[in-house]
Amino acid sequence: MSFRNFALKAVLAAAALSVALPSYAADPVKIGVGIAKTGPFAPAAIPTLNAYQMWADDLNAKGGMDVAGTKRPIQLVVYDDQSDFTKEAAIYEKLITDDKVDLLLSPYATPFHFAIVGVLERYKFPMVGSTAASVQLRTIKPGNIWFPTSAIPDKMGPELVSLMKKQGVKTVSISTLQSPFAQEMEKYVKAALTDSGIKLLSSQQYAMDVKDMTSIVSAIKKEQPDAVLSLSFPADSILFMKAAREQGLTAPFQFVLVGPTADFFGKIFGKNLDGVMTMGHWSPYQTKWPKGMPFFEAYSKKFNQAPDYLDVALAYMSCEITEAAVAKVGLDKEKLRKEISSTTFDTIDGPVKFTGVENSTTPTMFLQIQDGKPQIVWPPKEETAPFQKKGPWVN
Amino acid sequence: MKERALTIVSIIAALALFVGAPQIVNAYWLGVALQLLSGIALTQSWVAFSGLTGYVSLGHAVFYGAGAYVMALLWQSAALWEILVASGFTAAALALLIGYPALRVRGPYFVILTLGLSELCKYVVIAIEAALESSGRLLFDTPDPVFLYYIMLLLAVLATLLTWGLARSRWGAGLRAIREDETAASTVGVPVTFLKIMAFVLSAFIPGVVGAVWVLRTTFFEPMQLFSPTTSFTIVTMAVIGGSDGAPGPIFGAAFIVILSELLWARAPQFYLVLLGILLISFVLFIPRGIYGQLTALAQRRRA
Repeated sequence: MSFRNFALKAVLAAAALSVALPSYAADPVKIGVGIAKTGPFAPAAIPTLNAYQMWADDLNAKGGMDVAGTKRPIQLVVYDDQSDFTKEAAIYEKLITDDKVDLLLSPYATPFHFAIVGVLERYKFPMVGSTAASVQLRTIKPGNIWFPTSAIPDKMGPELVSLMKKQGVKTVSISTLQSPFAQEMEKYVKAALTDSGIKLLSSQQYAMDVKDMTSIVSAIKKEQPDAVLSLSFPADSILFMKAAREQGLTAPFQFVLVGPTADFFGKIFGKNLDGVMTMGHWSPYQTKWPKGMPFFEAYSKKFNQAPDYLDVALAYMSCEITEAAVAKVGLDKEKLRKEISSTTFDTIDGPVKFTGVENSTTPTMFLQIQDGKPQIVWPPKEETAPFQKKGPWVN
Repeated sequence: MKERALTIVSIIAALALFVGAPQIVNAYWLGVALQLLSGIALTQSWVAFSGLTGYVSLGHAVFYGAGAYVMALLWQSAALWEILVASGFTAAALALLIGYPALRVRGPYFVILTLGLSELCKYVVIAIEAALESSGRLLFDTPDPVFLYYIMLLLAVLATLLTWGLARSRWGAGLRAIREDETAASTVGVPVTFLKIMAFVLSAFIPGVVGAVWVLRTTFFEPMQLFSPTTSFTIVTMAVIGGSDGAPGPIFGAAFIVILSELLWARAPQFYLVLLGILLISFVLFIPRGIYGQLTALAQRRRA
């Protein structure tokens, strides 16, 4: 074969290939994310980034994202914020102005969401949030950010007290981490306890750098409360549960705010996690939400660990909402804003509709780990299993 | 004479470049320039005290955080300029309060004490915020980044002038004398305590204002991060790498770190911190005068 002949064949083959791949000839939809891949938030943030990645991979495997009728491949542009929210505004500004992304997904945790509110506003760039919850989010002007969570402290406080009343709780002891979200929760639980008939035995706060909770737990144990609320984040939730296990805390109602929904909690505490209550509004065992279990199974298979029932579910919901809105109206910011503000979206967590910046359809719920599975035990109309008293800790 | 003209021309050129930058670069690179200017302002302020006296302060994060806190508390309840000035004075007052006891010890004791006091201040603010039932503070309708950029430019210029003026003054000579031998300086009549405390207070004012501007950029105040000791470590790193015996060093140091971080943070975030550590050790061991000190030494050697 002469060189000329070879060259001709090569050109023809290339031409044939380019005809054979019409769907990937489309420009990719660039989707930007700034998230903690390193630093103290990384262990909790990476599972949510995994949810984004799984969503993008699945869509690409199906030929791409539906942009108002045209399928286009997805390209995620991810930057590490190093768990420092003061870097987040610059990162999202870079994504918008330098990388010129078409869409944005949210960072991990409340302060990081709050840090980019100004940037989204300035560039009129709509983004569906995920792992952020605070009563403060209602002060944000609606239109560029929405929060799919229903775990907002001023709603959770009264609901938690109602649940305790229903379970016959007469006395409660609270310990609270000095961190914005936990403190908000403490405030609204305490407000709801007044005139509830439940007696608050003690309430104490501790600093972020707490290394041991033995003395806090032993003081609570002495009070013999019916309910113990540990308003804690993953690191101190572990300290609390370890101390509770060592000392055999016997309260029948034990609530741990953030942590028990994460896969590694099951690995650390095994059977001891059974009976522990926590916040959350998603369970794959809710048969009303048919998308839930397939998502749970796909995620568990792909990453070899269960998704966090709170954070990962929220991250995935934000993808589902973005996907549905783009399928309908394309990438135009103004149309997206209208679509996200007005439509009811079908997600793994059931229907979601926003009023202002807030999810107004999903009720506030609580989960209890039973036989290693997250079951919804409150409110009664969403229940996937009845509440069970916390059994004895095993060492 | 020729060298002096060259220096003046390059200063004017650099200033013109910074003034014109918002018209030339996009929003992202303006953000990088903002970081560079804040780095220069913070490091100059640090050099004005620590570089000249040899008292290594790891407490500058407190002044920065205090300024940010004042802004977060007062935003939209007073004029911007009033809050900026209040932020600076709060930081300076804090420096007076901290400096009075802290400046009685020297060397490693002073380093540890400033770090400890800055952590103490951080937890005091956390406790105050907890008592106020505040869960972080969101700042709405903050000024345009271009406007913040010009404020930061002004701060960087003021901080440079402060270090430059101080280094050439009688006061600066006194501070250097303290660095070389405090006891000897005191013996020959240098009012060491007064000079040290005044320099410390002066070097706190600008970081306070920088923190206030920065929280307008971040639009969210949360004490754990705005009082983070990382700010102090970054300032010291910039000073060590650039050189800490006068005004040009911090400019080199801040530019070096900001450019390095720009080149690496998106592509290799883990590697960036490792490299920073290696660089810091190498500079301390092999180039203790910093980039600027080394350049001047080389130039002098060539002339000789």
